[in-house]
Amino acid sequence: MRVRVDGRRCVGHGRCYALAPEVYADDERGHCVAPATELPRELEAQARRGAENCPEHAISVDARVESDRPRPEGRPPDRRTGPMSRPRS
Amino acid sequence: MGDSREGERVNLFDPAVAVDPQPFYADLRARCPVARSTFLDSPVVSRYEDVARALRQPELFSSAMEKQIALGTERPMIPQQIDPPDQTRYRRLLDPHFSRRKMEALAPAIRSQANALIDRFESRGACEFDSEFAIPLPCSAFLSLLGLPLSDLPAFLEIKDDIIRPQKRRGVPMLPIAEAVAIRKAAGTRIYAHFERLIDERSAQPRDDLTSSLVHAEIEGERLSRSEILDICFLLLIAGLDTVTATLGCSIAWLARHPEERRRIAREPALIPGAVEELLRWETPVTGVPRIATQDVTLHGCEIKRGEMVTFLLGAANTDAAHFRDSDRVDFDRERNLHLAFGAGPHRCLGSHLARMELRVALEEWHRRIPDYAIAPGATPVYSPGIREVMHLPLIWASRR
Repeated sequence: MRVRVDGRRCVGHGRCYALAPEVYADDERGHCVAPATELPRELEAQARRGAENCPEHAISVDARVESDRPRPEGRPPDRRTGPMSRPRS
Repeated sequence: MGDSREGERVNLFDPAVAVDPQPFYADLRARCPVARSTFLDSPVVSRYEDVARALRQPELFSSAMEKQIALGTERPMIPQQIDPPDQTRYRRLLDPHFSRRKMEALAPAIRSQANALIDRFESRGACEFDSEFAIPLPCSAFLSLLGLPLSDLPAFLEIKDDIIRPQKRRGVPMLPIAEAVAIRKAAGTRIYAHFERLIDERSAQPRDDLTSSLVHAEIEGERLSRSEILDICFLLLIAGLDTVTATLGCSIAWLARHPEERRRIAREPALIPGAVEELLRWETPVTGVPRIATQDVTLHGCEIKRGEMVTFLLGAANTDAAHFRDSDRVDFDRERNLHLAFGAGPHRCLGSHLARMELRVALEEWHRRIPDYAIAPGATPVYSPGIREVMHLPLIWASRR
């Protein structure tokens, strides 16, 4: 699953990073910074919750990627990339 | 007017509505989504989708309204009463000073202030919540933010009252408009003088506070002018005190009447952030926000004329069953809560993160120390219209000493 934030819509309510702090971060102005990479499966519910609680509907969730399909048994979730596109302070 | 439907006339400032607004809102949304306020004979919009959309269209519904709401200011308050793109430049400058991170850093100071207030009345087993807690707490947060000493508190409370409720210190329910305007003007002059002094001090000797940051801040390479800084400070005073006071009062009054939910949050403080959001939605202490229509608009068959002041009823939007599942249920575990208590669009409340922090810390400390309380028998809480401050909220509890 991937998430995307529309920077023209985000006005800094901050509900996403308050409710889903492992997925979304805040920039200096308090606007949303969304991870650019594929999310590990264990963060998907959190990512959705953050997106659904954006009063501006600025976050879109794209679930049509591999992690939504059942994984072959025994294979761990893909951890090559972390959820964050930039280091958090 | 032609064949346009006439909006029903409603009194948004009816004290009975302030006490119990939700049924009034439901009626408006259902029967008359664009009503007319008896105050200024202006349109009132109540459905969630209409309110949310309008707040995101500043080109259609402008915030520039210095003439309509004169609160003792000489110029529009920055950035609330100006429109993008100028407003955007100010928000870029101000947002970082009001970010969630910055506001969380103030939490320990607010926590200790909340405890200092509770210390004064806990053993008494009773208090008048508004004057003893809900008013002084946000005011002390404001003072710490700007870098003013707590000893300024009494003077600031006076000025704030004179501006927002000029009748209050005179002990009368209503004042003639001319008299109210004169009191506001005098208070405005006092507040400008107070801030002028502060700006002088911080220009000479910067400290780690918002005033010092504003004095030294630049927009596109230019320092803010003195009047810009004053107009920002004025807004912080007008918008940052009463609103949190009202939210604290509405929240505690609701919790006092709902012991089951109260016990839940006292037992499980982790539920408090969800409770804060849900009480903001249900109570919506800032009941509405004004905008000026920049052109003629027809909404649900009602005409809104260019230049009219339109009230967008946040409280009605926040209880709209077309948007919220089980909208009449106060549910601290609500999974999805897109309430508009802090507005929406470019004017999203600058202080929303400060407010949320203050509310959370206040409810945490209050319920840690006074988990079981009730409205004093025989007392009737009094809610003010417009901004729903619970101006009389006597509470009692079993004192441990």
